[in-house]
Amino acid sequence: MPISVPETLLEVSGIEAGYGKIAVLHGIDMRIAPGEVVSLLGPNGAGKTTLLRAIAGLLPWTAGSVRFDGRDMRDAGPRESARAGLVHVIEGHRVFTQISVTDNLLLAAYDLPRRERAARIEEVLETFPEIAAKRHDKGGALSGGQQQMLAVAQGLIRRPRLLMLDEPSAGLSPVLVDRVLAVVSDLRAAGTAVLLVEQLIEKALAVSDRVYAMAQGRIVLEAKANEADLPHRLERAYFGQDVPTALHA
Amino acid sequence: MLPAILLSGLAVGAVYALIGVTYNVMFSASRVMSFTAGQLGMLGGVLGAAFIGVLGLPSIVGFVLTLAGCALVGVATEIIAVRPVLKSLEQHLYVLSTLALALLIQQFTAINWSTEPQPFPTLLGFRDGGVGDEKFWLPIAACAATVVGLELLYRRTLIGRAFLAIAEDNFAARALGLPERNLRMASYALAGVIGGLAGFASGQLLLAFFANGAMLNFYGFVPVALGGLGNNRGAIISGLGLGVFQQAANFTVGGVFASVAVFSVFIIVLLVAPQGLFGAPAQRRV
Amino acid sequence: MSAVTNAPARPAAAKRGSMGMLRQLLPFLGILAAALILPAVSNDYWTLIATRAAIYWVLVSGLNLVVGFAGQLAIGWVAMLTLGAYTTSVLVLGNVTTPFPAFVALAIASAVGAVFGFIVGLPALRLRTFYFAMTTLGFATIVTQIALAWQDVTGGGIGVPGPVLPAPFDTIIGFYLFCLGVAVFCTWITANVAHSRFGRSLVAIRDADVAAESAGISKPLLLGSVFLFAGACAGFAGGLFATLQSYISPEAFTFELSVMFFISILIGGRGSILGPLIATIVLTWLPEFAAPLVVWSTFLYAALLLLIVLAVPGGIASLLDFRSRRKIEADRTIIPRPELLPEILGDRTTPGAITLKNVVLSFGGVRAIDGLDLAIEPGQVHGLIGPNGSGKTTTLNVICGFYRPEAGSVTLGTKPLAVGAPHTRAAEGIARTFQTPRLIGEASVLQNVMVGGAIRGQGSFVESLLSLPRHRRDEAMLRHDAMLALNIVGLGGLAEVRADRLQHSELRFLEIARALMLRPRFLLLDEPAAGLSVEEIRCLGLLIRAISRQGTGVLLVEHHADLIFDICDHVTVLNLGRELAAGTPAEIRVHSEVVSAYLGS
Repeated sequence: MPISVPETLLEVSGIEAGYGKIAVLHGIDMRIAPGEVVSLLGPNGAGKTTLLRAIAGLLPWTAGSVRFDGRDMRDAGPRESARAGLVHVIEGHRVFTQISVTDNLLLAAYDLPRRERAARIEEVLETFPEIAAKRHDKGGALSGGQQQMLAVAQGLIRRPRLLMLDEPSAGLSPVLVDRVLAVVSDLRAAGTAVLLVEQLIEKALAVSDRVYAMAQGRIVLEAKANEADLPHRLERAYFGQDVPTALHA
Repeated sequence: MLPAILLSGLAVGAVYALIGVTYNVMFSASRVMSFTAGQLGMLGGVLGAAFIGVLGLPSIVGFVLTLAGCALVGVATEIIAVRPVLKSLEQHLYVLSTLALALLIQQFTAINWSTEPQPFPTLLGFRDGGVGDEKFWLPIAACAATVVGLELLYRRTLIGRAFLAIAEDNFAARALGLPERNLRMASYALAGVIGGLAGFASGQLLLAFFANGAMLNFYGFVPVALGGLGNNRGAIISGLGLGVFQQAANFTVGGVFASVAVFSVFIIVLLVAPQGLFGAPAQRRV
Repeated sequence: MSAVTNAPARPAAAKRGSMGMLRQLLPFLGILAAALILPAVSNDYWTLIATRAAIYWVLVSGLNLVVGFAGQLAIGWVAMLTLGAYTTSVLVLGNVTTPFPAFVALAIASAVGAVFGFIVGLPALRLRTFYFAMTTLGFATIVTQIALAWQDVTGGGIGVPGPVLPAPFDTIIGFYLFCLGVAVFCTWITANVAHSRFGRSLVAIRDADVAAESAGISKPLLLGSVFLFAGACAGFAGGLFATLQSYISPEAFTFELSVMFFISILIGGRGSILGPLIATIVLTWLPEFAAPLVVWSTFLYAALLLLIVLAVPGGIASLLDFRSRRKIEADRTIIPRPELLPEILGDRTTPGAITLKNVVLSFGGVRAIDGLDLAIEPGQVHGLIGPNGSGKTTTLNVICGFYRPEAGSVTLGTKPLAVGAPHTRAAEGIARTFQTPRLIGEASVLQNVMVGGAIRGQGSFVESLLSLPRHRRDEAMLRHDAMLALNIVGLGGLAEVRADRLQHSELRFLEIARALMLRPRFLLLDEPAAGLSVEEIRCLGLLIRAISRQGTGVLLVEHHADLIFDICDHVTVLNLGRELAAGTPAEIRVHSEVVSAYLGS
């Protein structure tokens, strides 16, 4: 049952996409309202990253449509999407290791007017004091967690209306995971919509309004984040069958 | 004698080094090694001789026009031979497409310019044939100017950093919203300017000759192989070293064995250290 | 029972085979007939041009195996022509040694060409494409420079007179017929290689080198043979070229000529013999039609090359390949026939289990596998599951010899498996499939499967060249088993279709058929169910089960939990390169840590 929302920021309908002959997404429907935090869960190989890439314009899709803020994104590449306020932080904190933190942020601000760049950089560095202290270090000198902060900061420089984060917690220590997810809560408070791909279900649910679950290229579950019995329903959705309740001890 | 060998070696080496950088600039933007690198060097000499020697334009005008022409050829390379094959699953099509384009450029020059080496005009007036001769100093100056220019570009400008970003991680750069295609075209234009500069500056040394393209393709590639793909510093040092080695061997054991020696060193280094002596820049973890 | 159902299919296939053979031969016979008639209907000038085309083809036919089949971009092969030409001329002239008879000199030229072909080819084993292309280009430059400078022997820029063959080959027509004969012979032997396990292996090295290695194909041996052969052809062609020219100097051996050879093959189409033959003839004749074309010929070749690369990657051969444009049924279902399995998997000894003990492997400081123990028992299906990056495929690659573990051992029975030597696994009866199917798109489905059995052939490269009985027995055996394997996985009806026309799910089954060609004692499957429909996964499960029941040990790396739980006898769960849990599917399903590793939290 679709959840009624006052307004739609992102509307994905019937997206099909893949790599070469391999079809990964089989007709995905998804809506995100302005300011809403949505988690996208699912086992490995379900197609979560592929979906994010398709929405961001990094991967052409073969059928279906993506509308962002009412605009058809069919021929929009990643640059146009980012300009429209649809920003994608890819997985694996892939910052540029050979140039400084500030330069990494400058590149993220490539399309912004020259005058505004410095101010925007200061603005996001205030959000991330731990990398502000290392602003002149090369990207490669940062720890994994700091690189992830930098990657998120690169996304925020554009003041996105929807930020898509692909496994921001992967490879981070629990403390850092909380730190990254706290950013998501801050964004929510500030009215920015977030689409969060996560492996850590409980932590993801804690910061989300709604949740989608994917398996084998399809959406298998859509629910409010605070609904009861969610973990159980997720297991069923992933494994395709019931799991004995004994294990929820 | 020694200074003369050293000087001519450095001069020739500077040309090899610059062609090596031309290869690298194109490679960094697209992961493509293009056979047009040497042809850009050849065109620098031929266009310079045509604009200044034949049409009688002032040197500075001829210089600017030559660089502009080579930049255009660089952009054409990107559009005709690189972009169409980048998306192909077949990884090595670029070897064929750039080889075809390089041959087209070379043959077109042979037919419309000359199949014989043509003289290149004197630019500054120092032509005594000795150590003060401009034919030695122009390539060296061009090489120095390129090193300084590239350093400024990469360290001081946003577009230079964008070049570095694309070279390091093309996908992340695209995801960040960098205009990857425009940057790639700009890189190819830059490669054209560097190749053209190499050819223009070495016009008096190598003459305006259509067959220089194939020669420079090989001798310009050696520094890339020795210095490591995409490593400009390695290419410059290897190129200068190669030039001095070749001139020294030329003088001591004769031209043929010098070529054999260069080829042998090239093969041995490739087989022993496929990454080059200086190593390729850090590759991103997969 | 199975024999009965198969019976009607066989004669039909045999008939189709001989018809197809004739259809394949016809263009060659047509070209030969035209070549034989030519001297009678034209003048000496055209006969000389035809002689040149025949000589070029002698070189190109050999080079075709290097460039067109093995995919090695040897752009400077004119060097071998130069070497052959000078060797023959100098030996016949006798300015260094006592004069040799022309045919002896030709044989020596061929040997010289072979040796240098081999030397120049060797770097191809280590170098990437562009580097190798540059190496051959550099070698060609060096050879020309030496020819110019070594005046005592080569006459320097002036050159040396070419040899004259003894009667009856000393006339224009006699020499033409001799060259034509050699060209026909070269066509025949290269066609034999092309249609042998060696030809298929070459294409496999070109298009799917990892799969080729796993099938036990030795790249050094195969490429070495082919470089020797191509060098010999070019050396011989050089001798003929010197005879034709009657006087040779370094100017005769331009880079343009080298490019022409190379381009003939690509315009003709990779992996074809007819295409490059036509292209060689056309490119040799083209400049003769109109004088202006002589100047523009290389420009024209280059333009053609660009056009081919950008617009018709398959070359002339793909334009002539009408069979691949025939429609194939769009609505196909895969129906495996596991009941045929005993025919291919029966009668094998089982050597004991594959055992991994305390295996450790790091990538850049990160432990991908961290002290893993694992045993794959014959006749059982062993599932390997875990989150992304948990080390599943890495484990598979360690077993297959692609990765070298830093510590620990991998043994088969009691015998340790050689580390870092993936090509040795096929001989041990270990076959595998890949996460992304690695197949030869341009080859037929049947040929793709036959690649899997390459090491089961008995005949040598030379036997294949001359199509001796052992070669023909190998071919018949491989063809029969490949057909059987295809019927088993349910793709029998698609045997003659080009592999790149198949759907993704069919490619997965095709990889299994190829693996079956090894009559594997162990079969390692890397996510075989990815991208398959529910019904296809069910068929796959039945097939895997049936294979294991023939005594083959199966390692199944999968994400599909249903498939794992349905068909595995034993499941190992990996997390962060370590065993998180192991046991029967029923035990694993209720294992709380497993569930949380899968679901997070």
